[in-house]
Amino acid sequence: MAKKLAVVPELCSGCRMCELICSIEHFGVNNPKKSAVRVLVTYPHPVMRLPIVCSQCKVPVCADACPVGALKRTDGVVRLDRDNCISCMKCVEACPFGAIYAHGDLDHPIKCDLCDGRPQCVEKCPKGAIRLVPEQSLGESKRMNNILSYAHMKEIEFTEKGESRIIRYAEIGKEEL
Amino acid sequence: MDIKSGYFKKHLCVDLTTGQCERRRLSDEFIDRYVGGRGFGAKLVWDNLVQHEFQIDPLGPENLLAIAPGPLTGAYLPSSGKCSFVAISPATGVYGDSSLGGTFGVELRQTGVDMVSIIGKAPALSVLLIDDDETRILPTPELAGKTCLEAEGLIKERFGTHEVKVAVIGPAGENRVRFAGVNADWSRNAGRTGMGAVLGSKNLKAIVIRGSKDLPVADLPGLLAESEKAYAYMRSHKYFKMWQREGLMMVMEYASAAGILPTYNFKDATFAKVKQINGETMLDNYKIGDSACFACAMSCGNICLVKQGKYVGTVTEGPEYESCAMLGSNLGVDNYAAVLRANQLCDELGIDSISTGSLVGAVIEGYEKGVLSLEDLDGRPIAWGDDDAILELIHKIVRREGIGNTLAEGARGVVRRWPEMDKLIVHVKGLEQSAYDSRAASSMALAYATSDIGAHHTRAWTIAKEIEQGKNWTDEEKVDLVIYHQSLRPLFDMLGVCRLPWIELGLNEQHYARFYQHVTGKKATLEDLLEKSKAIYDLTRLINTRLGLGRKDDSLPYKVHACPIRSGATAGKVIDKQVFERLLDLYYRKRGWDANGLPPAEVEKSFSVP
Repeated sequence: MAKKLAVVPELCSGCRMCELICSIEHFGVNNPKKSAVRVLVTYPHPVMRLPIVCSQCKVPVCADACPVGALKRTDGVVRLDRDNCISCMKCVEACPFGAIYAHGDLDHPIKCDLCDGRPQCVEKCPKGAIRLVPEQSLGESKRMNNILSYAHMKEIEFTEKGESRIIRYAEIGKEEL
Repeated sequence: MDIKSGYFKKHLCVDLTTGQCERRRLSDEFIDRYVGGRGFGAKLVWDNLVQHEFQIDPLGPENLLAIAPGPLTGAYLPSSGKCSFVAISPATGVYGDSSLGGTFGVELRQTGVDMVSIIGKAPALSVLLIDDDETRILPTPELAGKTCLEAEGLIKERFGTHEVKVAVIGPAGENRVRFAGVNADWSRNAGRTGMGAVLGSKNLKAIVIRGSKDLPVADLPGLLAESEKAYAYMRSHKYFKMWQREGLMMVMEYASAAGILPTYNFKDATFAKVKQINGETMLDNYKIGDSACFACAMSCGNICLVKQGKYVGTVTEGPEYESCAMLGSNLGVDNYAAVLRANQLCDELGIDSISTGSLVGAVIEGYEKGVLSLEDLDGRPIAWGDDDAILELIHKIVRREGIGNTLAEGARGVVRRWPEMDKLIVHVKGLEQSAYDSRAASSMALAYATSDIGAHHTRAWTIAKEIEQGKNWTDEEKVDLVIYHQSLRPLFDMLGVCRLPWIELGLNEQHYARFYQHVTGKKATLEDLLEKSKAIYDLTRLINTRLGLGRKDDSLPYKVHACPIRSGATAGKVIDKQVFERLLDLYYRKRGWDANGLPPAEVEKSFSVP
């Protein structure tokens, strides 16, 4: 089953180990600018740290933009055929997420290949902010966060068998129903 | 002495007066001897001093500022994001340095230089743009008076990209507040010793960087293997998760219990209401995100938001322990939201939170004791925990209004105007002491007294060791520990890495010698590197003694000898003057300095070669 990279932005600390290990893995150099992932930081409004990763789209806009058909999706990964690539970088500009990258030293765009099934960004992230998940699990962290935000809405203290306890519940007002 | 890798062997020299920017070669000899970071900076500062016959105004155009990451900065190893700022300090008038984390130093190296040095003064407020091989000085009058955050935002807007790294000064630096800092990556600070004021005196608002080059590493697979071991060790540490969650805020509880937490301007060392400003409180009510420097797994930074009450909407990264202690317990502030607001203010205005907290604390105590009159305070009373008055005073310092104009001159300036305040300001050489009370640990007192930049814990932090196991320590053991720390800790600043994985998680320091070998391709043991670091300590000492400092300046704040801690685990403790002088004698002897603390003549000779 094809797996995808999922990002939990709330966990990202902005340490850029994902960028660094990607450059080492794919190009054998210590250069966070030569990587297929980039951590974007906005501050303070809003406070965001978000690793931009490739979604391996089923309808890859990057492949559509490629004039020579050098990008193809096989086994759930959109792969770049370097021999056919003409280095026009149209795919870099076409990706709706900006998740393909270019670098002056390189002849080809930098395209995520999921490290043949063992993405190093996932393995090295100290916070678990980038994950490799089956497609049906995408959005899991959002769902969980949403539930938790409800659980924090109201608290009631009560005594049970002489012990003080707290119950949390979501109160939905009449006007919202 | 062939240095194979780890360096670009380039040094960008910027003269803001003439507008000349030039890349010069760094010799292998220079690189080998001074390593990087503070080592590079100290040598440049020394050469500049010699050239100006030791007549340098810290806020004059002749003061040279070096911005230097190290050979390990940006490499794949734990917490490699550090970059040093080195110059003659406006706070102390002698050698000063301060380092910041984040990603600024990494980006700087990626432009293909190992160091930038800045002299002169720009004709109008400007920014220095280093875009890979291109360097330009651009006038930016529109940034005058902007806070650090505003300025960083405007700069990114002007250059049309968020993918530049910016180090910037706030209004405090522009107004030459002597403890103004430099702010990068929104809220990483080189806070101490007034490096922001040096930039301000040069009319340089910011340094804007975009780099793309590979960082030279001699043996990348070897480095990777070594680093994996180090990261794995860190991840397996029992406090690793705690570090990610609380970072340095963890220290608040510990420091209060151990009796070393600055409280009410160092009257106490235990804060009764520490629970209201500790890590747990932060986690429960304020923390909204984690923040880490480059390649750091520990992510000690905490991004906090105040969600209700009078400071609602305050967003700030930090405070870490030092800032929380100095702006919290040291001022009697028990409302964490107010501490966050003060921390945010320091970040935005670009002043050092440690010096600010220390001076404001001294003002509160001075007013309490009648040393300062209401008139001295411009008619606005101030008291412990009075957050409104404290925030107002911080603004006044930065705007140099009323009493703020005196406070902006730092400890030295305050004492010049009110000599009695010397008994209340806890400082060494004019640098306000950081947030570890030394009265319970004579080794820590010695460390503060002999630190080259003044009372900062970054040179040696022996307090935990002495307090935990110090009962039967001999003088010799204390002095040896201080000297060892004063070699090892500055070594981190030379290599361009953070010391927290070592000091907090116990990552063996031997790793760093191996990191150095893998990166530079040059064989070196930890002992070799410590020797180099020790030589730099001699050099910074030489800088200070040639500027007139001696034994009389390796002295402790009045309170440390004369005012016993009032309560808590260390109640009644002071440092005995005789004990201290005895330690100092032994320290000088072990360093090979004379009884007045002067290094021997051959030291100066050895640094005279270019």
